[in-house]
Amino acid sequence: MNKQFTIAQKIGLMFRYDENVPQDMEGWIEQQLRAPSPALGIANTSAKVTQWPDELQPNLSKRAGMWRRYRALKKQQREGKNGQDTEAARQANRHENLMQEKDEHRFVQRNVYGADQVKLRLTSFWANHFTIGNTFDTGQLIGHAIDEGILAKLNGSFADMLYGMTTHPGMLTYLDNVWSAGERSVQAKHCRRKPDCQAGLNDNLGRELLELHTVSVAAGYSEDDIRAAAQVLAGWGIDFGEELSNMREKTGSNNHWNAYKKRWAEPGPKKVMGQTIYAGRSGLRQLTDFLASHDHTINYISTKLCHHFISDSPTKAHIESVKSVWHQSNGDLNTIHTQVLKLAINSPDTKFLWPMTWLFQVVRLSGATYFKGWENTHHYDDKLMHTKKVFEELGQSFWSLRQPDGYPNDKAEWMSAEMFERRVRFADAIYKNGRTRPSVNKIMDRIGAAEQTRALVASVGPSPKDQFITLMCSPELMGLEYV
Amino acid sequence: MSKLIPGRRNLLKAGAASLFLAGVPIAGLAKGKPPGSISVIILEGGMDGLATIPPIGDPDLMRMRKAISPEGYLPLNDFFGLHPSLKFYAQLMARGHASAVHATAFPYTKRSHFEGQNMIEGGGLSPFSEKTGWLGRALDLADVAGRSLSLDMPLILRGHHENDNFYPASIRGSSRPKADLVNMIAMGHKLDAAQIFTKVARKSEDNVQVPRDPASLATYAGRAMAQADGPVASVIRVDNFDTHANQVEEGDTDAGRLARQLVVVDDVIAGYRRGLGKAWDDAIILTLTEFGRTVAVNGTRGTDHGYGSVGLLAGGALSGSGVIADWPGLSKQDQFEKRDLMATIDYRSVCAACLEKALGIDHDVIASQVFLQPDLPRVFDHLFA
Repeated sequence: MNKQFTIAQKIGLMFRYDENVPQDMEGWIEQQLRAPSPALGIANTSAKVTQWPDELQPNLSKRAGMWRRYRALKKQQREGKNGQDTEAARQANRHENLMQEKDEHRFVQRNVYGADQVKLRLTSFWANHFTIGNTFDTGQLIGHAIDEGILAKLNGSFADMLYGMTTHPGMLTYLDNVWSAGERSVQAKHCRRKPDCQAGLNDNLGRELLELHTVSVAAGYSEDDIRAAAQVLAGWGIDFGEELSNMREKTGSNNHWNAYKKRWAEPGPKKVMGQTIYAGRSGLRQLTDFLASHDHTINYISTKLCHHFISDSPTKAHIESVKSVWHQSNGDLNTIHTQVLKLAINSPDTKFLWPMTWLFQVVRLSGATYFKGWENTHHYDDKLMHTKKVFEELGQSFWSLRQPDGYPNDKAEWMSAEMFERRVRFADAIYKNGRTRPSVNKIMDRIGAAEQTRALVASVGPSPKDQFITLMCSPELMGLEYV
Repeated sequence: MSKLIPGRRNLLKAGAASLFLAGVPIAGLAKGKPPGSISVIILEGGMDGLATIPPIGDPDLMRMRKAISPEGYLPLNDFFGLHPSLKFYAQLMARGHASAVHATAFPYTKRSHFEGQNMIEGGGLSPFSEKTGWLGRALDLADVAGRSLSLDMPLILRGHHENDNFYPASIRGSSRPKADLVNMIAMGHKLDAAQIFTKVARKSEDNVQVPRDPASLATYAGRAMAQADGPVASVIRVDNFDTHANQVEEGDTDAGRLARQLVVVDDVIAGYRRGLGKAWDDAIILTLTEFGRTVAVNGTRGTDHGYGSVGLLAGGALSGSGVIADWPGLSKQDQFEKRDLMATIDYRSVCAACLEKALGIDHDVIASQVFLQPDLPRVFDHLFA
C-alpha cells in the first residue's frame, strides 16, 4: 500500500472511498488529534451524511429517567397491567427507553462516516482499557461512557480520564461499587444491628483500578492496598434505577456522574501503596491522581499503547520514548498519543487488525452502505442486519458481556479459524448487501495495493464478489505480513 | 442487579458456554485410542466452593456464612452437604459416579482472575509462564494429537498439534464460504494464517452443525467422544462465577446467581451423560476454577476473591463417590491469610490423576512433563482405586 493508506490502516480507519487523501501525513496526525468529533451518520440509507440528532444522544439524567420508565413498564408487564403484557408494548418499551442499540448504532456510524478516524481508533483503545462489560443496567450507560468519558476527554490528561471513568456510573455499576459500603461506615454500622440488612465492602473496583486501569500487578501491591482502595471508593455511585428523590437524599445531588453517598463512605484516612488518602469525597481524586502519575502506571500503559498501535513486540526504545513524553508532559494525552502514533507510522511492523477495525475499514474503502440509518435502528431490513447482531457475529463488541481486562492486543489471541471464517463471510455479505461503490481494481489502485495482493486477487478468477472477498481477506488488508 | 461476567476469550455469542473438542485421532497416524476420555468444565470467575459443597459439620460455617449458605442443601455425609442446584450430580453421587475434592486449588494465591485463569489453563509454575496448556501437553504425550474441533483456541488445549474450531455463523447475506476460494486465499498468506484459512476451507466442506447452549454442547461433545474415532478430550467454559454481589437472593439462600450457574453446571454434566452413552463408563469429567472465595460474606450478599475451592468430578471411570478433603477448618487462624479457605490438596494432583486414568500416562511423566513439577503428589488411589 502507499504511505497514506499504510498509515491510515495502522492508526486510523482508512480514507473513505470519496475522501481526499492528504499528502503531509505528520501534519494530518496533528490535525486529526484535534479534529472535532460530531457523531456523523445517516438517517436512512438514501440520506446524506449529517450529525446525529440530539434527542438520540441523551445525557445521563435522561438516560436514568428512561431506565426508570423501562423498569416501571416491565413491572406492569409482569403484573399484566395497563396492557403492557403484549408483545407490541414490550417492544415499544425496549425501543423507547433502552439506549444500547441506539448507542451501538451511533458508534458504528461514527466509525464508518467519521472524519476523525484517528481519534476514533484512540477511543477504541481507551474504551477497551476501561472496559465496562454489559451487565444488567450498564447497557444503558456504555455508549455514554465511550462518548463522554473517553472521546470527549482525548485532549485532556490521563488523570482526568482516569477519574472520569472511575466515577462513571457505568463503571461503578459494572464493578459492583454502587453497592459497596465502608466497613466502619454509618450504613454498615446501622446494618450490623439488623438481621436482614447487608452493607459492607466490595473490593471488585478497587482491585481492577489497581490491576487493570493503573499500576498493574507488576507494582507488587498487597491485598491491604486493594482493600484500602476499595474503602476510598466506598460510597461512590448509586443504583442507576434509584428514584430521584432517594438519590437526592442519599447523595445530595441529581448528577449520576458525581454521586457520592456519605453514609456509605469509610471514615478516616486510608493508606494505598504507601500514600495517605484523606477521607471524604475528594479522597478518590487524590487516589486516582496518585495512581495516574505512578511510575508503574506510566510503564504499564505506555507498553500497552505501543503494543496496540506499533507492534506485537514493541522495542524497549519505543516504550521508553513514550514513557519519557508521559513524564515530561505530566500525562497529557495529546502529547502521549502524538508520540505513539509517530512511532507507529515509522515502524515497519504490521499490526493485525481487530475484527471491528477491519470491518470499519472494509466498509469505508468500499463505500458500502452496510449499516441502517438511525431512523431504522429497530426496523427489520431484508439485507442489513441489526448493528447489535453484526457485532455479535463479528465476535467483538464494546456492548458484550466480558471480563474487565477487555480484548487482547496480541495477534495470537485472534488467530482462529472461527474468527477468520467470519471475515470471509462478512466480506461476502458486505459485497452482496452493501452496494459497494468502487470496483476492486479501483480500490487496489487507490490504496496502491502490493503486487502480491494483485496477484492473489487475480488468482481467484473473474468473479467480482470473489475478488472483493479475496482483497479484503488478503494479508495486506488484514494487517498481516505478506508471503 | 444480576451480573454476568463471561470468559475473556468467549468472543462469540455472549452468555452461552463454549465448547472445545480435541485429540481426534487421524486414521493410520495415531497409536491407538487411550483408555478413556477427559472433559474439563472451566468455571470462570472463581467458584465459591463453600457454598457448592458446604461443610455443614464445621461449626464455623453458619457462624461465618449464614447469610449465603444454602438452606436446602442435600446432606452427603455428616460433614458435607451439596448445593440444591446440583440435582443430577446428586443422583450420580448416589450411584458412585461422582466425587468432589474440597479445600483444593492450583498453587496460585494472588486472587487476580486473569493471572489465575492463565495459571489453571497453562498449568505452569507461575501465571503467563507457559504458552501451551496442560491438557494440550498431555494429549501430545499420549500421542493422540490430530484433528480437533473447537470454538476458539483456549490456552488449556494449546500445545497439541493442529487446533481447529467450529461455531456456526449466522450472517445475513453470506453463504458458507466456498472451499476453493478460501484455499486460494490461504495460498496468499504466510504460515500461521495460511493454516487457519485452510481449516476454514476444510470446515466449510464438513458443514457440521453445533448447537449453542451449554447442555446441548455437552451432549454434542459426549456423542462425538463416544464414537470410535472421536475426540478424547473436550473443554466447556461456563462463565459468571464471580459472585461479588447477589450470590444469593434476598430471603432465599437456595436461589441467586450461584444457584443459577450451578444449574448450568448440573445441566452440562447431564448433557455429557446423555451424549456419552456407553462411553460414560470410561469417561472422566472435572471442573476447574481459578480460585475460591472469601470465607466471610461481603456487604453485597456476595463474596470476594479467595483461594481454596472445590472440584467436582463425574464419570463412570471413578471408583466410587465421596468428598475427598483434608479439612483445614474455617476459624480465623485456619483461614489462608485470615480470609480464605485454605487449600490442602493441590488441584494439579487431581488433574494429573484424571489424565493418568483417561490417557494412560504414568504419573511421573505427567508430573514432570505436563505440570513441570516432578514431585507433584499422586492422589490417583483416592479417586480411582
